[in-house]
Amino acid sequence: MNKKALDIILYGLLLIGMFVSLYLIFQYAPPAINPTNNQTWYEQKIFYVHVSSAWTGFLAFFVVAVASIIFLRNESRIADLVAQTSAEIGIVFTTLTLISGPLWAKSFWGRYWDWSEPRLVTALILWFLYIGYLILRSSVGEDFRRARFAAVFGIIAFLDVPIVFLSVRWYRASHPPLLVFEPGGLDPSMKVAFFFTLFIFTVFYVVLLRNALRIKLLQDELNRLKEVI
Amino acid sequence: MEVGKGKRAGFLRQVFYIVAKDFRAELRTKELFNSMFLFAMLALVIFNFSFAGKMPVRVLSGAMWVSFLFASVLGLNRSFVKEHEKGCIEGLLIAPCERSVIYFGKFLGNLLFIFLVELIALPLISIFFSRSEIFSKPFELAGILVLGSFAISAIGTILSAITVNTRTRELLLPILLFPLILPVLIASVEVTAYIFQPKGSIIQWLRLIGIYDIIFIIVPYLLFDYVVEE
Repeated sequence: MNKKALDIILYGLLLIGMFVSLYLIFQYAPPAINPTNNQTWYEQKIFYVHVSSAWTGFLAFFVVAVASIIFLRNESRIADLVAQTSAEIGIVFTTLTLISGPLWAKSFWGRYWDWSEPRLVTALILWFLYIGYLILRSSVGEDFRRARFAAVFGIIAFLDVPIVFLSVRWYRASHPPLLVFEPGGLDPSMKVAFFFTLFIFTVFYVVLLRNALRIKLLQDELNRLKEVI
Repeated sequence: MEVGKGKRAGFLRQVFYIVAKDFRAELRTKELFNSMFLFAMLALVIFNFSFAGKMPVRVLSGAMWVSFLFASVLGLNRSFVKEHEKGCIEGLLIAPCERSVIYFGKFLGNLLFIFLVELIALPLISIFFSRSEIFSKPFELAGILVLGSFAISAIGTILSAITVNTRTRELLLPILLFPLILPVLIASVEVTAYIFQPKGSIIQWLRLIGIYDIIFIIVPYLLFDYVVEE
């Protein structure tokens, strides 16, 4: 399959899929009932976008770690660019997670933030780690060294994430929060909406990665041509 | 005698040479240790007045660890900066030893400095904050200080080797280090609070620090070559 055909398929899927996903979230899936006050709970709709962006952010950082390992093995320029691009995209999705999470939490827990909620805190730490990753990248002048340092940090940072998650969960066990509810299971039509949104977010990530990568390769090419002239 | 025959010193001995070199340099200048120690104590003074009066154990343990962490950052920052300033890093790199020797040497040296600062700070903390427990359980406290500082030094040493090559240098290290070290900080504070005032169980926290220490001594060891290669 050539590049152009793949492009058309991906863009088409994304364009239609986003509308379908909106339909599934707002029309197909029934509104939830808030267990804290038994009223219709419209804010629960945030959940679909929130969890999907959290997943996509995490996937992006996983890709950073894999690309970093590949870079250290064969020093391929592409792997380095993938790591950088994926970190940038991951930051965007994690930022979305950190905005949507507190909005959801306010409607459910009655407050925006809870320091003993491991997923939320891990998302925040991820955000700090990969902002650090990008700052590190921007403060090394030389291309080759930048790629190496970033790869080393990218691997270390990713290994740290599960430990952060565990530590916050245990922290919660020893300092129980005043009031944190866990939402119950999803009903089947909610599950359809959720998994579809998750899928579309993943496609969105792939499209962004491909495009940003293409731009960076063109930049490389441009720099090379400039030097020739 | 074997050295004369061209045989190289063993791994541990090579590591020891690096530690000894750093220690000797420090003994002559005393720039690092003094600053680290004063910084840690000043941070505690500031914490004391920020929290107004007698701190509960959990807060005191937290204040202790935050001061130690901040003081460690000072030391870690200098760890490779001073090699670069005096052009000593080239000497280290052409020394007939594996690169990992440099990592372990630097790691041990940093751990030693951090631990010494903590050891000297402890009795003072006990006096300033009326915590006689510090004297009644010295080995438990020393144990957790070593475990926690082990992680700070292990991860801090490789990050320091990275940030010394960046434009922002000293600014970047804490930004990269703090989010990475968070689990250890939580665990160390919990364990220290438990030593002051036993309540609940700490076995999972010790396990967490143990796992962290093992992972983050092996991974930097594997990756260090890529950091220092010229």
